[in-house]
Amino acid sequence: MTIIYLKNLGRFVFLVLFQALILNNIQLGGYINPYFYIYFILLLPFETPHWLLLLSAFLLGITLDAFTHTFGLNAAACVMIAFARPFVINAISTGTEFMTGHSPSLRNQGIKWFAYYSIILVLIHHFTLFYLEIFRLTEFFQTLVRVLLSSAFTLLLVFIAEYLSFPREK
Amino acid sequence: MRYLLFFLRKHYIYFLFLVLEIISLLLLFNNNNYQSSAFISLSNGFAGTVMKASNNISEYFSLRRVNRILAEDNAKLHSTRSEAFYKTDTNSFYRHDTLFMLEYKYISARVISNSTNKRNNFLMLNKGHKQGIEDHMGVIMGERIVGQVVSVSDHFCWVMSLLNKDSRISGKFKKNNQLVNIEWNGGSYKIGDVKEIPKHVVIRKGDTLITSGNSDIFPEGLLIGTIDNFTIAQEENFNYATVRFSTDFNSLSFVEILIDMMRKEKEDLKNSFKTSDR
Repeated sequence: MTIIYLKNLGRFVFLVLFQALILNNIQLGGYINPYFYIYFILLLPFETPHWLLLLSAFLLGITLDAFTHTFGLNAAACVMIAFARPFVINAISTGTEFMTGHSPSLRNQGIKWFAYYSIILVLIHHFTLFYLEIFRLTEFFQTLVRVLLSSAFTLLLVFIAEYLSFPREK
Repeated sequence: MRYLLFFLRKHYIYFLFLVLEIISLLLLFNNNNYQSSAFISLSNGFAGTVMKASNNISEYFSLRRVNRILAEDNAKLHSTRSEAFYKTDTNSFYRHDTLFMLEYKYISARVISNSTNKRNNFLMLNKGHKQGIEDHMGVIMGERIVGQVVSVSDHFCWVMSLLNKDSRISGKFKKNNQLVNIEWNGGSYKIGDVKEIPKHVVIRKGDTLITSGNSDIFPEGLLIGTIDNFTIAQEENFNYATVRFSTDFNSLSFVEILIDMMRKEKEDLKNSFKTSDR
């Protein structure tokens, strides 16, 4: 059990630093900002209580906000997907039992399940984030393009990370 | 009461969700109250230290370009020395120094973090209260504008870049002093927008825009950019143009903060007018 806590804590620190120091500096045509750090929320174990999910997502968001100086922006988006996560899992699961202590993964749940799961959550996050950042309707379609392109890029990173972690989780 | 408690216990997740969202949104939209300023100084200290460590490494990669810019600046300064002028006349005029009072002081600062890919971009610099930095000071690079200081901690300050939805620069055409406002509407960090150019102003590609000096932040005559493209509106009363910034926002590593020595006097003057107005 402690192992699981430590693993998630390590992932938290790594992803925040990776996002703040590397991904935030990526410049792709002015439209694409990958937000890979939410991989932490995607990978929390299935039986994480809902309140812990919300609190850890809030903490994750507010930590990242400290780096980008946008107080509450990332936190609001993270809390949103942490809230949605159990509902998404319920909606798309096929009735098979999830093993305790396991995280959602491409290997255990299959590519179709994992694709649905990650696409829905990443889209919710990016939608909330980009529209809160703009907070006007005049740039609606321009922002929509940014949401879609950035989501695609984030998902690409998520899938790369999943494939890289294949051999370890046996 | 029991039912209320029961209700709360049953649906506590929804309340927790709402509470967390409301906290986030309050933080996001009330950037002036005490809590958030306490938060800002906390994060400036913590995130600033981490960013500084990472910047110590990445700084080496831009040394070549920084060198070139410094050399250019040097050359420019050399060309203004008295030795650089050929004396065409033996008459010379003596000017007593007290005629000139220092109005702007420049403090060089290092860019610790910077972004150009967000809708709202900020820079963090390694100068703060301890070096006399305050809110609303202008930030420039050479003769080109960069942004303005929006929050300050002891050793760092946070600068709103020109690439921000809240930033509006009052500028003018260099050729005929016509005033315009320059904004940035997302997309490429090289291109900005000039809206509401009066119809009678003749626009040409390549026209230079400089700061107007109307705001308290920048003095007159700093470079903003050149006209890149323009459209003559048929039905509206104003024309529209895009401007190519002369600052390369993606490669800032050393900038200067402008300290206005007469700022207090200017503010006092304004305030005294306001109070006597009532």
